[in-house]
Amino acid sequence: MPEGTLCNRQPITTDEQLKLTLSDKGGRQYYAEMEQLEVDTDKLWTAIQNTMKSRLKTWLNVCAKCGLCADSCFLYECNGRDPRQVPSAKIHATLGEIVKRKGKVDNAFMRKCMDIAWSWCTCCNRCGQFCPHGIDMGVMFSYLRGLLFSQGFVPWELKIGSGMHRVYKAQMDVTTEDWVDTCEWMADENSEEWPGLEIPVDKEDADIMYTLNAREAKHYPEDIAEAAILFHVAGENWTVPSEGWEQTSLTLFAGDWEGCKQNVLHVYDAIERLRPKRVVGTECGHAHRATVIEGPYWAGREDGQPPRPFLHYVEWLAEMLRTGRIKIDPAKRIKELVTLQDSCNYVRNQGLKNITREIMSYLVEPGYFVEMAPNKEYNYCCGGGGGFNGIGKYRPQRNIALLKKRQQIMDTGAKLVVAPCHNCWDAIRDLEEEYPMGIRWSFLKPLVIKMMIVPDHLKPQDEEGEE
Amino acid sequence: MKKKILLATTGSPASFGAARVAFEMARRYDAELLLFHVAGVPKKGFSYQEVSDVRSQEAVSVDEDYMAWVEEELKTTYAKQLEDCNNFRILLATGLPHREILRVARGEDVDMIIMGAHSGDSSAVYSKGYPGSTLQRVAKAAKCPVMTVHRESASYMGGFSHIVFATDFSKQSESAFKYALSMAKEFDCEMTLFHALDITSKVLAQSDIEDKLISLRKRLRDVYGPKMGDFKNFEVDVWEGNPYVEIVKIARERMADLIVLAHNTRELDPEQASMGSTLEQVILRANCPVVSVNRPDKV
Repeated sequence: MPEGTLCNRQPITTDEQLKLTLSDKGGRQYYAEMEQLEVDTDKLWTAIQNTMKSRLKTWLNVCAKCGLCADSCFLYECNGRDPRQVPSAKIHATLGEIVKRKGKVDNAFMRKCMDIAWSWCTCCNRCGQFCPHGIDMGVMFSYLRGLLFSQGFVPWELKIGSGMHRVYKAQMDVTTEDWVDTCEWMADENSEEWPGLEIPVDKEDADIMYTLNAREAKHYPEDIAEAAILFHVAGENWTVPSEGWEQTSLTLFAGDWEGCKQNVLHVYDAIERLRPKRVVGTECGHAHRATVIEGPYWAGREDGQPPRPFLHYVEWLAEMLRTGRIKIDPAKRIKELVTLQDSCNYVRNQGLKNITREIMSYLVEPGYFVEMAPNKEYNYCCGGGGGFNGIGKYRPQRNIALLKKRQQIMDTGAKLVVAPCHNCWDAIRDLEEEYPMGIRWSFLKPLVIKMMIVPDHLKPQDEEGEE
Repeated sequence: MKKKILLATTGSPASFGAARVAFEMARRYDAELLLFHVAGVPKKGFSYQEVSDVRSQEAVSVDEDYMAWVEEELKTTYAKQLEDCNNFRILLATGLPHREILRVARGEDVDMIIMGAHSGDSSAVYSKGYPGSTLQRVAKAAKCPVMTVHRESASYMGGFSHIVFATDFSKQSESAFKYALSMAKEFDCEMTLFHALDITSKVLAQSDIEDKLISLRKRLRDVYGPKMGDFKNFEVDVWEGNPYVEIVKIARERMADLIVLAHNTRELDPEQASMGSTLEQVILRANCPVVSVNRPDKV
């Protein structure tokens, strides 16, 4: 069988195909079909010749297999220091082999590559900092994922995820109507406690356009309300776009390059349409990487920048706290040990390490903030990055991957973990589910709302109850 | 009477009392009953395909078969009540329970939500990430009255004959008052307007307490008396003590079959709000259904 009904080389582009693939329980038929999926070796080799640029070629050639990257990889450490888990070994066993064989690889090899690309590497890019040649295996694995996706060898959930983006322009089936309605709902639900609270949709020339993660609209719209409350208190002139609001990119995890470009263009189109002065994205790591760090290149923007200055949520929040537009009540500062999860995607990939610590300095009573070790750009992946969290097939491997973060958190002694990234938040939630240790975890928004001083004119004007 | 009642149920014994009242009310007052159940909380990074089953906490893969099975289970659980109920729909969802209850209540524009006080299982790891119980969050944000039935013994439903409306004179209490009054008028039952003078954190001389009781009774009459219209079957009373204890006590003494009060907490964090909140304590202790009204929309 060259291509299956569910598992094939075509990305999902129709609602029908999406529902069909979704209805396949746990991807059983999908993975069964994958075993029969023919590798289009000519197409694979052509793709490599067309897309593999000199940097990757050089990296593959100059890697001396010295092993200095070994200890940098948390998956290597968590998996009993298995030599096969050394980053350089992983990439040579997969991409290296495909290139060496000029694309002439078989089905079994491609499936092995898929296992390695999605369950042995989270594209966290940590190893890149330890390589004497500056080789970044995370980048190479992202490239490998693209090749695998184009041949149909991609985990079921990510095939669906990329399809969701293509069909609904969001990683979940949130339509424009659902989204706009959710904004109205959240403004309405919170209007009593926050008189004048609005979630303005499609306001042109606002100071800020806010973009977010579809999971917020779908499953925990409180997050949208919290963002609105903080914009409201800070006195921002802000808006959300009715289209192009979804900032995440499961296509990035899936290796769906074409989909990546489509996603980021939705956001950029919204920016061009509404002309905000700046854009702020939610507390999400990969969404920021997709829209701000890699997105401009996918979109073919020559300056390598999004159409307007684009801030991660931590940048906006730090600015508000620094300038006093949001003030923290000193009496409410956190007085328990608290630690901070550095998200690979905006800390290692963009260097937003000090700004998150600046935020912590406003929120936490001196002496109560404990760093994980290592931290900042040397911090480990949460264990669920790169799509690892969402793939059922690799759940056992993901659970092992969580162990490094577990140890790091336990070593701090903190019971509260601040995780300003959806993926990290999820991984830490799952960590507590898999290996209960009595910790709590939080995004920044609810913490700040709990701790900020609300100006009197923004408080509800209800009469006092009894004396 | 209320036209659309949403019964939010886990299908577990903890919600049987609420179910009993909901079915009884729907039948008695010819309302449409929406039987709503949240099948599970999404796992795997909030993708849909796998959820942690609300009841068993096991990871299950969500598909048509599973949802059909859940629906069948609900039908079996409530087989007896459903026999007598001719206007109902079963609605299922996945997600965080409080959020999905609020979503469906909004989408269906229901007139009342009826639910138990808790799911009967507090071990769910998700509740830690989303502090506060489902009830707290629903009661706080719902636009319609939320009726809670904490246990089966509180679910006797022979219609309403005596309503206790407890007030702290807050803005939210106005909506609760309107609702209590319209219920009392509609069912032609007695109504007690009640306020509890909180003396738990103060040391007051007996004479001060008595003076306050007198002035508060006057305040109750002054505030609510003119709003009673042609409804005469009411009394006002003020007792001193711990508010929730006094509310439960007067309900018992008056043999009330419904307590109405506002959720009324200024605390934004539900985890904090739930601590010692009068509403929560009344719900847990009252021997009759408790309706919380926070908003003017559906009264």
